[in-house]
Amino acid sequence: MKKQSSLSAGTLLARLVLIVAGLSALVPVLWTFINSFKNRVDIVSAVPKFIFTPTLENYAYVLGREAVAQGLVNSILVVGAAVLIGAVLGLPAAYALARYPLRWADDIQFFVLSMRFLPPVAVAIPLMVIWLQLELYDTRFALIVTYTLLTLSTVIWLAIPAFKAVPKEVEEAGRVDGYGPYAIFFRVSLPIAARSLIGAIAFGFVLVWNEFLIALMLTTSDAKTLPIVASELSQLGRDVPWGILNASVILLSVPPLLMVGVLSGFLNAAFKRKREVA
Amino acid sequence: MSLVISSSPEQKMSAISCHNIIKRYGETQVVHEFDLDVADNEFVVFLGPSGCGKSTILRMLAGLEDISGGDLHIGGRRVNDLPPQERGIAMVFQNYALYPHMTVRDNIAFGLKRLKVPKAEIDSRIKEVSDTLGLERYLQRKPTELSGGQQQRVAIARAMIKTPKVFLFDEPLSNLDAKLRNHMRIEIAKLHQTLKTTTVYVTHDQHEAMTLADRIVLLRDGRIEQVGSPKEIFERPRSAFVAGFIGTPPMNLVEMSVKDQGSHFELSCKAGVVHVNARQFALEGRERATLGIRPAHLQVDTSGGRDGGFFGEVQLIEYLGNEVLVSFSQNGGESSNEISALMPSAQAPRLHERVSFVADPQQVHLFDIDTGASLRIDKASLH
Amino acid sequence: MKPTRSNNKTRLPVVFIGPGLLVLAVLALVPTIFAIVISLQDRELGHTDAGWVWFSNYVQLFSDRRFLNSVSVSLIWEVLTVSSTMAVAVLLGVLLFQNTTPRWRNALCMLFIVPVLLPRVSAAFVWKFAFHPLFGLLTYPYKVITGEPLDLLANPLTALLTVAFVDVWQWGLFFAVIVLKLLETLPSQPFEAARMDHAKTWEVYAYVALPMLKAPLISLTFVKMVESLRAFDLIYVMTRGGPGISTETLDMYAFSQGFIESGRISYASSMAVLMMVASTVAFTYIWKWTRPSS
Repeated sequence: MKKQSSLSAGTLLARLVLIVAGLSALVPVLWTFINSFKNRVDIVSAVPKFIFTPTLENYAYVLGREAVAQGLVNSILVVGAAVLIGAVLGLPAAYALARYPLRWADDIQFFVLSMRFLPPVAVAIPLMVIWLQLELYDTRFALIVTYTLLTLSTVIWLAIPAFKAVPKEVEEAGRVDGYGPYAIFFRVSLPIAARSLIGAIAFGFVLVWNEFLIALMLTTSDAKTLPIVASELSQLGRDVPWGILNASVILLSVPPLLMVGVLSGFLNAAFKRKREVA
Repeated sequence: MSLVISSSPEQKMSAISCHNIIKRYGETQVVHEFDLDVADNEFVVFLGPSGCGKSTILRMLAGLEDISGGDLHIGGRRVNDLPPQERGIAMVFQNYALYPHMTVRDNIAFGLKRLKVPKAEIDSRIKEVSDTLGLERYLQRKPTELSGGQQQRVAIARAMIKTPKVFLFDEPLSNLDAKLRNHMRIEIAKLHQTLKTTTVYVTHDQHEAMTLADRIVLLRDGRIEQVGSPKEIFERPRSAFVAGFIGTPPMNLVEMSVKDQGSHFELSCKAGVVHVNARQFALEGRERATLGIRPAHLQVDTSGGRDGGFFGEVQLIEYLGNEVLVSFSQNGGESSNEISALMPSAQAPRLHERVSFVADPQQVHLFDIDTGASLRIDKASLH
Repeated sequence: MKPTRSNNKTRLPVVFIGPGLLVLAVLALVPTIFAIVISLQDRELGHTDAGWVWFSNYVQLFSDRRFLNSVSVSLIWEVLTVSSTMAVAVLLGVLLFQNTTPRWRNALCMLFIVPVLLPRVSAAFVWKFAFHPLFGLLTYPYKVITGEPLDLLANPLTALLTVAFVDVWQWGLFFAVIVLKLLETLPSQPFEAARMDHAKTWEVYAYVALPMLKAPLISLTFVKMVESLRAFDLIYVMTRGGPGISTETLDMYAFSQGFIESGRISYASSMAVLMMVASTVAFTYIWKWTRPSS
């Protein structure tokens, strides 16, 4: 589409809207970030303060609390394990579904996708009862098993199109060169689709790291993940410790935000193929 | 069935006038001082190799690209700063650019609907246009259900229905297979005979250019090499580039040494000798020149080499049906030294046979060995 | 390695799909069956044994006013967030496509992806803080102008809108990036043709560009419909279902029944089963409707 060579009123207005939207994406987070360095006194002032003496008190408190440290450890272990299992089981399954025309391939795909239709609470309630009965309630194991459902279905769902985008000719060339089907998966398809697959796994990571409801229902003290710990900090009596709260929110948000680059690249790669074809 | 053409005063003013048009992308200049006047009802073809600027110029005419310098007039009005829809033009794209989600009927009617033309008038105009192009049966189909040729006709219909002052075609037949291309070429030619709308047509296919054009504009690297009727360009190429570009099989271009013999010049190379009339070509003071002779203008030598000619060993024989294209050379093997000649299949020689041909003296072309400019004394003008 | 002749001869599909599928099936079916079983009992948290009451939980649901309220809140929530998200996404995506240079585009895209990456609870806290009646950054102008604090989360109407706003903030901006990428995949020539067909800029989008993207846009709407069901996190942090029950969606109510208030697991489970059935049926139907070919 031919771009306007001169700046019309419409263009300026549009850019204004976009800038406002962009600021709205950034400013609230920044505001929280700034306030995590404030003393309580500075936060509860009637007029929002931008000039203040920063303090690391909040972070010291948050990081010093055993619950937070444990929450962090739990999150890392649980999410890491669930993502790992999801990738190990999910990538091969996605590849097979993408490349081998099975009678039930479509139905299996739909079944996997339907996992995502389930409202979390609908899954959490029976699971709570099950884990209680198995006396595995409030364990990391229970969470890992539960989260695997999410990561596995997400990885399969997103990896199938990634594998389908690998040019068939390259795989066939591998066959002609003497590679067996397993070797083709590991040496040809996997490397070629790597960029998109990493995006899919990153997506699964973000999904499960941010998960709240299921963890809330399946843990009480031992296996609490970081989101739960963060939200509990807001329930310490009537005086909400906003400084501490902001600090914990920032800490909680850092790992998924690190994925901005990866997910941006994933989106670009996913649409680049289509752009080249068009 | 022909369309009724109203002869309003505007119809007389459909000429295009380009004066010193240039195009720059940043620091790079891709079109240099383009001058051209297209008359009413004329069918002009922009021809040239990839990257010569023909599509860029067309898009500047359309208003899809900014004009970096110079003046463009359509119908007597300066249109440099006018958007495409206000220039009175219609364009047919290489990829048809049909709206894939609309029916053929809606595709054709889209422009008129945007102009809030009354429904009854839209219906009657669609009927006329689809009858002319044979699209009546396809009006309710979507573009993806049509063949390439049908889609192209829909694109043409969409342009036609707006009764523009100028048609612009951007390599419309490039995406079609050879047989369909022939068919559509004839349709476009007939359409022009009926509608007589001024047309600028871009192609890289010289066959299309030669058969469709009233005048051809041959472009290279953003500059005009020659403007003329197909006959002019074929018989009186202004440069070696034009000579080599037009005509299939391509003209032989051979470097020759020049010797002044008084009443005539003798041109010689390893592969042969040719004599040319001194009055026809400006060869004074030159030691070398490029000689051009078309394969069809080389005849088998029956005089034993007395009248000069080319000789060598046959390297390749290409069977073309009625004729064969014989490529021969003196040094054996190096294709840059090969000369090709057309001869009847019945008399085809064998590989590695020694052959000799005589050049028809009326059909010899000579070009400057460095610039490629024609050395003919009465050479064709640029426009 | 010996070359295999054709796909049919290898066991790879079974080996690759088998384990994953097995795990998925178990993880999905076991809770589902359990949920149904529990819903037919009268279990409570803390008690190990329970009797069979068959369908009385379900019957009770339909005369439970709070349940019916939560259904309507959930429906309003779905319609509100899905339509607002798609509207914001299309608007911003088109503006991005039409009015920005590549450098701006990349920068804005990165910004727009930030909200959706935040954990829901983070987003909830961030905005709860920004909208705080006493020292929120964004309620400050209102305080200055009117002299009164603005407590958006205390008013039943604005509470739902505010929480919905956060949801649209997270998803609408992200979808705008996707819409932009989709627009970039379209060939430019139909747009040029439309321009020449006297279409104004907005008409080019309304009649050509967006209709060409009908299929992916419907898929996006579908994804958002599924995602909107996971709004629990936002509501839990921002309002806990209040004020009153004005923001109590189905999952919030089920949670409070099963967990907070009375530990009536079976009652909550019956809600969960209804939610599972309704969402599976609705989404299967919509899925098939948007993909007639498969």
